[in-house]
Parts: sequence; C-alpha cells; structure tokens
Amino acid sequence: MLKLQELGHLIDELAVQLVMRQPETPVRALAGDWVPRLTGVVEAARAQGAIEAAESAGSLIALLTATETPESDGVSEQLQAGLAQLERAIREAGAPKTAESPLSIAQDPELLSDFILESGEHLANIETQVLMLERDPCDAEALNAVFRGFHTIKGLAGFLELWNVQKVAHETETVLDRARNGELTLTPPAIDAILLSDDYLRRWLRHLEAPAPSGPPIGGEEALLERIRGLCSAPPESQTSDPEPKREAESEPAPPPAEHPETSEPTAGAEPAEARRGSAAAVKVDTAKLDLLVEMAGEMVIAESLVRQDPELPTLRSARLQRNMAQLTRITQELQKTAMAMRLVPVGPLFRRMARLVRDLSRQFGKHVEMVTAGDEIELDRTIVEELADPLMHMVRNALDHGLETPRERRAAGKKETGRVTLTAQHRAGQVHIEIADDGRGLDRERIAAKAVERKLIASAEGMSDSEVFNLVFEPGFSTAAMVTNVSGRGVGMDVVRRHIDKLRGRIEIRSTPGQGSTFTLKLPLTLAIIDGLVVKVGAERYIVPLFAVREMLRPKEDTVWTVKQRAEMALVRGALLPVLRLYKRFHVTPATTDPRESVLIVGEVEGGRFCLLVDELIGKQEVVIKSLGETFKNVAGIAGGAILGDGRVGLILDLDRLFKERTDGGQ
Amino acid sequence: MSASVLTQNPIAAGVPVDVRSGKYLTFALSNEEFGIRVLKVREIMGLQEITAVPQTPAHVKGVIDLRGRVVPVIDLRLKFGLPQAEYSQRTCIIVTQVQGESGPLMMGIVVDGVSEVLNLSDQEIEDTPDFGEDIGNRYLLGMAKVKGKVKILLDIDKVLSTQDLNGLNSILR
Repeated sequence: MLKLQELGHLIDELAVQLVMRQPETPVRALAGDWVPRLTGVVEAARAQGAIEAAESAGSLIALLTATETPESDGVSEQLQAGLAQLERAIREAGAPKTAESPLSIAQDPELLSDFILESGEHLANIETQVLMLERDPCDAEALNAVFRGFHTIKGLAGFLELWNVQKVAHETETVLDRARNGELTLTPPAIDAILLSDDYLRRWLRHLEAPAPSGPPIGGEEALLERIRGLCSAPPESQTSDPEPKREAESEPAPPPAEHPETSEPTAGAEPAEARRGSAAAVKVDTAKLDLLVEMAGEMVIAESLVRQDPELPTLRSARLQRNMAQLTRITQELQKTAMAMRLVPVGPLFRRMARLVRDLSRQFGKHVEMVTAGDEIELDRTIVEELADPLMHMVRNALDHGLETPRERRAAGKKETGRVTLTAQHRAGQVHIEIADDGRGLDRERIAAKAVERKLIASAEGMSDSEVFNLVFEPGFSTAAMVTNVSGRGVGMDVVRRHIDKLRGRIEIRSTPGQGSTFTLKLPLTLAIIDGLVVKVGAERYIVPLFAVREMLRPKEDTVWTVKQRAEMALVRGALLPVLRLYKRFHVTPATTDPRESVLIVGEVEGGRFCLLVDELIGKQEVVIKSLGETFKNVAGIAGGAILGDGRVGLILDLDRLFKERTDGGQ
Repeated sequence: MSASVLTQNPIAAGVPVDVRSGKYLTFALSNEEFGIRVLKVREIMGLQEITAVPQTPAHVKGVIDLRGRVVPVIDLRLKFGLPQAEYSQRTCIIVTQVQGESGPLMMGIVVDGVSEVLNLSDQEIEDTPDFGEDIGNRYLLGMAKVKGKVKILLDIDKVLSTQDLNGLNSILR
C-alpha cells in the first residue's frame, strides 16, 4: 500500500504532466493514465484515514471521466485546483500522524478498552433506534441518535488509528447526514445497509476485544462501503438548506418493502423514553469494586446477626438498645438489598437484540412476524443476562422457524397473516420467569412421540403426559424439523438451551395448544451470587448442599441401603436403586455414626443421574453468598466454593456434579 | 538471588536500594525465631475456628473468614516439618499477602506467637549459609543477628507458593 509521502510524489508528477502537455492534447487523453493512479490514491488515502484526501482525489476522477462536459481550458484549471487541494489534504493528513506516532496513543490498552465499552453501548443504541426508524423513517429524534452514535465512533476510531472503523462510520454518517437534511429517504435498503455497518463495527469490537488482536481479519468492508456509497449516489432531491425538506421527507415516507411489511415493536412507545433515562444518570464502576461492595454488605449482615443473637443482649433489658438494634437491622438489610441490586441489569437490551433477530429471520423465512416484549425493566444478575443470550436466540429461532406458519398457512387456518412472538419477563415467587410465546401451530405431540420412538428415546408415548412428551425435545439430537434450514432443525438447538439453563440453575417448561401456539417458560434465579443451601453436618464439619440439586431427603430404614459385592452401596428410594456416597469416607472426616439408620440420605440430581449422599444430620436451610476458595484450592474435587455461615465460620459448598462423577475415587 | 526476587515484587518496590534491609515482623516457631517483611503482613489475628478442606496436605489447616473473604491457612510448623504443637493463647494467625499465579492473594500462617517488629540494616543481614539440600534454602532471604540472637528471614512468597500446594495436592490425590 502507498504511503502518504509517496502519494505526494505521485501528485507532483501528475501536476507536471498537466502543465507540460502539448497544448493541443485534450485533457481527457490523460484520463487513461490518471484514473487508475488516482483510484490507487483514493484507496490508499481511505485506508490511512485521510478522508478529505480521498474525497478530493475522487472528485478529480469524476472530472476526468465526466465525458458530457465539453473539453475546454476550464477543465484543465479545475484539475489544477483539484490537484492543489489534494496535495494540501495529503499534507494535512500526514502531518499530525508523523508527529503523534511516537506517542502511539493507539496502543494504550486503557483507551482501547474504553473505546470498546463506549462504542459497544453506542452500537446497541444505534440498533434499537434504527429499528424504530424502520417503522417510522421520519422519526427525527431516532435519526439524530443514530447519527450521533456513528459520529462519536468515527471520532474515537480516528483517535485510535482504527482506519477501517473510521471509514465505515464516516460513510454511514454521511448517509445519515443526508437523511437528516432531507436529501435522502431512508428506504429499506438504506436501513439494511446501516444495520450491516452496525454489525461490521461490532465484529471489529469483538476482534479488538480478543486478547491478542493481530492484523485486520475483518473482511468485507469494501463491499459494505460500496453499498453505503451506493445509497448516496442517488441524485439529491433537494439542495435547499431551510428546514422545509425535512417536512417533505415526512410527507413521503419510504414505500413499504415489496415482499412483506414487517413490524417489530418492542413495548410500543415506552422504549425511547427508557433509553434516554438509562443514559441520563448512570456511573460506570469497575465490577471488582462492585463485587467487593456486595461482599462487604454480606459481611455486614453476618456481623449484625452475630451482635443481635449475642446471648448477653437480652440480659441488658434496655429498650433503647432494642430500638437501636432494630434500626441497625433494618439499615443492614436495606444496604444488602441495594448492593445486590447493583449487580442487576434490565433484560430490555437483551430483548431488543431479539427484535433484531426476528426482523432478519422473518425476511429469511418469508413470514410476517410481529414481535412484542413486556417486562423490559425486569432486572437479573448481569452474568445471567449474558448467559441467556444464546438460549434465547435458539428459542426465538425455533419459534420463527417451527412455531409460526407461513402467511398462506395462517390464512388457511383463519388466523391473521402476521404472526406474533411475545417475550415477557416477570417476577414470580423470588424468581424471574421469561416467556417466549408464539401464536403458531403449536407443538405436535404425535410427531414428537413418533420421532422419539424412532430415535429410541422412548418405547412408546402411551401414558405419557403432554409435558413429558414435550420435554423430549430437549434430548440431545432430537429434532422434528422436516427440513434442515440453515438456522434450525439440526437438532442441536434445544439440548443446548437446556444445558445453558441448567448452568444458570434455572428450569424450563413448555405449554402448547395445537393450532394456537406454544409457550416456553424459563424460570431463573435472580442472581448467581446467592444460593439456597442445605446446611448438613458430618462429624464436626458442616457442608452446604446446593438446594437446587436436592430432590429429597430421608432417614434410611433397615432395608434401604444395600451393599453390592461388598464394595459399592446402593439405596432403594421409591423403587429406584441409587448409588450411595458416604461423605465422611470421601472427605476423610470422622463421622458421628457410620450406621445409615442414624444418618440422613440426601437424594441429589445431577447431570447423568441421581445419587444419594450420606451425611450425619441436617442443620437447616440457609441463603448463602458463594465465595471462591481461590487458586490455593482450585484442585480440590467436590468443593464448589465457600460461604460464610451465620456464626462467622466458613462452610464448604459441595459440588454434587463432581462428587457424583468421581464417586469411586476416594470411597474405597 | 534474593535481591532480584524482591525487586520484581511490586509490594517491595518502594523500599530502598538494598532490598533486604527494612522492617521485619518476627515470630516464634518451636524454639526458633523467624522474620517476614512487614510489607507482606496484612493483619495479625488470634486463633479462630478453621474449616478444614478435604484432600489437602496436613499443613493446610483449612480456611477462615476474613471480613467476607475466604482465606486459606497454613500451619508453618507442619510446613517446615517441625513437631505439631497444641494451640495456645499465644498462637496466632498472621495474614500475609503473597504473589499467587494470578495476582496477589491472602494467606494466613499459624505461628506459635508474634514477637516484635525489627528494623534491620544491611550490616545485620547475612546470606544464608549452605545447609545442604534438605533445609530448603530457597525459602530463605537471609539470616539476621540481633542482640546475639539469630533470626531466620523468610521469603514468604516462596514459602506459600501455591504451586507447592497444588503439587502436593495432586500427589495426594
């Protein structure tokens, strides 16, 4: 690629040619030689971020190739002026860079991570606003927001010498600027192009985020730039600068897409207000600090309960002390609640990402889809929201691909042509439920059953309840799609969904009515930082068993526990034989008793089956804050972490999955 | 060798040129006196109930709660192969901050009792004599002679290196 200095030489050469040519030689005779060279200049200048230089070189090409203007001396003068301008632009573009390169701001990782964070937010906002623009191309506020977003990214990218990013942002901004001035109407192709450039920039951010970014592996910017520039090349409708053109644009909205008008309306109306509110009063805080604050608040609760339960306290019989203690308790709880809430983020942005997916997929499938969301403001732990993106995407895809019918099928069934996908979040009994509902054909019990029999998952569906049959779709390798499309039907979707949800300690339920649609409900905990734990005792030690994995607890009778070949032990629980793991043997602690009849069996359900854990006694149920044991104990099998118990001691949280998998290791 | 180790350490980066001189917290272990850099010490606390972690070497006593953090505790007597002692009123836990594989981490050491903080100059510190293989010279920064008594200066980062612990873990398993 040409350096800027080299470009300078090239221009000099051209200028000399222009002056030295034979007077009778028409200027255009130079075109054959110049145009390829100038094209090289345009490319090189663009690649190096010298946007003005690229523009003036572009106008030179236009002059040379504009055959309709008659040849005259005017052209020669214009060319000279153009060359001078190009030279200046190249010098300007070159000057600050040579001065700054030793400082190498672009390499500052902190600036870069700020850029990634900030641009990511802008891009998310842009996407939302563009989808609004699509519904109403004259929404001046949305247009301005999109324009500002690209403008900011362009500026930041230039500062960090990310020329490709700057280029794309610049071209998109140009289109938007023309739309703002009423010179251009945002037609569906324009919206598509803007979304594509949003995607392109996201890919860049992801690339930059990678631990060791090397080279620019992001291709496709040329095609994208062509597409964006193509939008501008349409002749401007009006050049006047008074505010009237905007009005004009409003009176003539973009014609609806020919194939099918597709609407996606996330919580109609409420959204822009929310977006603005979100950006108004927020502070960025390092997550490590936040975690520390949450930790400290948790400690405070424990310290407070230590004081409150002090046996000496009631003997003081002081009303004032009682009152003050009550006040302290209240404040402590409030503090912990607030600290916890700081880790929570609303599901709205996640839902809006789905709106984009629905838009793209509905076109691909040729279906008319209307997307409705509710409960955007419901908050969940940020890790959960992040982890939720994949499963939600799978489910939305499934709803569009398998759930909703084609417009013709819908007409035949007497339904509205436009199908509806609803995403709802709501609080239910200390959990958050997220529903993905469609009004399509519903799950086909017979087909699922037939498929399951064919795949040898079940012998026969007779006697199985609907929900049992529906749950078969979560089995690995199960898929009923008659045709494998490139988005779904490969049978990997639903078991991935279930695995994700299991990881989040959630549950998933299916309801479906034939011909009326199906509803998938995800039941998720509010946070991953706290779990409900069952505190158990073995000898002098206390352990915490995560309650979500516990199915039942029982005191074994004489004939419950059996020895198999004098080695393994099995327990007969409700007709099923389950392996027994004596925790004291595994952890080498001295138990209070080795007689199962005086111990407690906990039936745990883990990936791969159920098993029984033998412990001395149950102490109770407690909410605990999960803490890492750190790198010192990272190799200890069967321990998932630690938690501070009510008396200030550390309790170890058991990892039932690993205990089950490695149950033969320490048991002999 | 010890000099280069300490200059690399961000915590010790602020101390004067001879990296071994400075303030040391001394403590008793069996009938010997040891010293560790004061800059490494975060807190000294009385003995409290320690939760044992299964399948760890004997010198790893377990974990304690330090204001919301779970901190591992090592019995230094057992670590150094000294005979185990009954914990007494004087027994205490020194919480230190050491270099872990992924950044600094807190670790507690159980010692017989804390003595004093000494300001040691260059002249008072000598290189460790070569005791032969089994004494574990790599844990030592040097020896200090103060008022006719010898203090053994420990490189606590090395003593509590988690690689050591993990290595033992995998042997035990």
